[in-house]
Amino acid sequence: MSRATQTALVRDDRTLYEAVAGLAVGCSGVAFLTGLAALLDLLSIDDLVAGLELSVVLGVVVLGLGVSVVGFGLTSRLGYVETEAQPSAGLVASAAFTGIWVAIGMAISGVAGLPTAGQLGIGAILGAAAFATTALPREDIGSTLPAGVVAGFCGLALVSGVVGPGLEQGLAGYNATLFGDTVVPAVVLLASLVTGWSAANAYGGFGARGRNIAAYVLIYLVVGSILAVLVGLVAFVTAKGLPGLFNGFGVGGAGLLRWPFLTNGAGLLADTAGVFPALLGTVWLVIGAVLFAVPTGVGAAVFLSEYAEEGRFTGAVEVATNGLWSTPSIVFGLFGAAFLIPRFGNQKSLIAGMLTLGFMLLPLVLITSREAILAVPDEYRDASAALGVSKWQTIRSVVLPAAIPGVTTGVILGVGRIAGETAPILLTMGGGVLPAKSAAPNVLGGFQLSASPPFVSNPALLEATSALPYQLYALITAGLSGNIQNPQEYAWGLALTLLLVVLVFYAIGITTRYYFRRKLHQ
Amino acid sequence: MSQTDTTETRANRTDSQPVSTTAGETVEETRTEWTTYEAAGETKLAVDALDVHYGADHALKGVSMDIPEESVTALIGPSGCGKSTFLRCLNRMNDRIRAADVDGRVELDGENIYQDGIDLVELRKRIGMVFQSPNPFPKSIRENVSYGPRKHGDIQTGLLARLTGREESDREETLVERSLERAALWDEVSDRLDDNALGLSGGQQQRLCIARCLAVDPEVILMDEPASALDPIATSKIEDLIEDLAEDYTVVVVTHSMQQAARVSDQTAVFLTGGELVEYDDTEKIFENPESQRVEDYISGKFG
Repeated sequence: MSRATQTALVRDDRTLYEAVAGLAVGCSGVAFLTGLAALLDLLSIDDLVAGLELSVVLGVVVLGLGVSVVGFGLTSRLGYVETEAQPSAGLVASAAFTGIWVAIGMAISGVAGLPTAGQLGIGAILGAAAFATTALPREDIGSTLPAGVVAGFCGLALVSGVVGPGLEQGLAGYNATLFGDTVVPAVVLLASLVTGWSAANAYGGFGARGRNIAAYVLIYLVVGSILAVLVGLVAFVTAKGLPGLFNGFGVGGAGLLRWPFLTNGAGLLADTAGVFPALLGTVWLVIGAVLFAVPTGVGAAVFLSEYAEEGRFTGAVEVATNGLWSTPSIVFGLFGAAFLIPRFGNQKSLIAGMLTLGFMLLPLVLITSREAILAVPDEYRDASAALGVSKWQTIRSVVLPAAIPGVTTGVILGVGRIAGETAPILLTMGGGVLPAKSAAPNVLGGFQLSASPPFVSNPALLEATSALPYQLYALITAGLSGNIQNPQEYAWGLALTLLLVVLVFYAIGITTRYYFRRKLHQ
Repeated sequence: MSQTDTTETRANRTDSQPVSTTAGETVEETRTEWTTYEAAGETKLAVDALDVHYGADHALKGVSMDIPEESVTALIGPSGCGKSTFLRCLNRMNDRIRAADVDGRVELDGENIYQDGIDLVELRKRIGMVFQSPNPFPKSIRENVSYGPRKHGDIQTGLLARLTGREESDREETLVERSLERAALWDEVSDRLDDNALGLSGGQQQRLCIARCLAVDPEVILMDEPASALDPIATSKIEDLIEDLAEDYTVVVVTHSMQQAARVSDQTAVFLTGGELVEYDDTEKIFENPESQRVEDYISGKFG
């Protein structure tokens, strides 16, 4: 062979090395997930695993990972395995390890009680050393040695119990204390992230391929932690809320489903306290807001994108809409309280809440509808015009149907926001902390005809009504007390109900969008 | 010696004839007699001194030509020569571009379509248009074809019509079938009229667009490079269709492909860069013996 360093297209050597490195990546992943679980309180760090505390076991694992990572680097550097290591690990890796070691240095010296100048000094020294170790040697050393030392250091701290379940570290100047059950998982997360990256790098044989795999591992671990937060949050609320939600749930006398939590009020006479009035209040609130915001928002979007000439006016409207969308909800609430309430019977009412939330929803519906309408291809408009069809007919029968999925997306996002709003309801709709079933809004049956204008009235719309987020807030500020059994359980059930209501609205929206998309494309 | 010399001189002279359009060089003069062409048959569209400006850009310069009825007129020329602009003037689609400024007269059966008070809906019902890339609506095949008549109120459909007993689904069926048959698409789609039109192939979509245009019963059909986005087989189907349509309709077709113009058209107008109509004559004459040197260069592929 003329070229000794020629790379084979098919890699069949290095299998043992790759297998060990792959195993290390897997162990790092497991350690990372365990750390996450411990951080979210799903695991306790002082549980016993094989006779040892979990924190010590994790320490051993992390220590082992650190040692093996250094081993990968040395094996490659000393030429036992052929890799494609580049001359340096690169600036980004160097900067990352510098940052990590500066932080470690400052944390240790802080715990040791050094003054600020001393902390900075130690941080700088360690940072410089890490930078030199990463940037100067060949890549196989540069991207393993600093990582291995981080992991080894963390592992030693955990094994020796310096960082353990009993840790209580006061933070000078912050009036706060760090406890072991936060610090141990954090240390494990840091160490396993670093070793996972480094081992993945070794698994790929360093070089471009190694960095590629390492980047994947980092991204997967980050995505995993985001998902863990999401799932953890939902699981937490669900676990806490289920007992309250299913309190008294069962099949009743006539073979009907009994679900007192959703069908009862919270009055003195109710056997099991329920959230029916607030649930109905929230549903009507969202329906009212959508009924107000969607026609106005879509109408405005049609005007802006089809009729108005692109210019200063549309620009100003766009800025105003974007600003309105980011306006804090309490400001909308104040506006509703000062402007709408005097006009609707001078008291907090369902309709004032609907309109306030409608105002909040309006900008998002306008923005997304406008984008959806602009995204409808001009070819459709041309084709329609060439057939002699008028502009309005074209908008109605071609442009709007093609824009419906986009509009629906906007409404879904908006409903998710307004259904959980508390501040505007607090100021405009009110309602009791623990409303009885009789306080539920009877909107459908509330319409009354009269002989004088406006001929139709609906007192249900003009009454103060409770809604789920507001009731939750009111319960908490009232100190979780009241004439109900187990208010804690009741409040968690309420929270879960609110979460489910929002999810149901999402599901409806997504189904609608799916239906219209299918209709457009199949 | 003298023999060779003369030939060479002659050849040199031909080569150095001023034919380039680049600024600063002399441009071959355009003669009016090259564009005055008396076609057989009645004049359907008479264009007189048509000028189009897009802002400062002079896109069409004083174009005059008569388009005879029930025949195929091809408009050819290099990109940016104004042939599509010209086509879009014929049914006033240029009105939809804000910067476009049109001067001159276009007469449809002797009536100027650029006079005040013209009914654009009626005009576009009489002059249909097919676009470069197939653009069916994201609706069913049936709805695509009956879209025009429905919107014009020629066919009553929908809930209200059904409730009042005025629904004309029989008439709609007939119209859809007739239009699709005329566009040579019926056999391929007759069993799936309720499928979405976007599921058809490109060539089928383009024939659907032609059927959609035919459903409004126009007199003139304008086609803007109707086959440029299609494969050769679909193209040849469209070309057959164009020839076939010319028996009943006046077809004006813009094309990039000179072979296509030669195959389908009765008369051909050549636009060259700068937005001028250089020559307009029988297709055979244009392709075999054009008057203008520039047109000859363009057709033989030396320029454009």
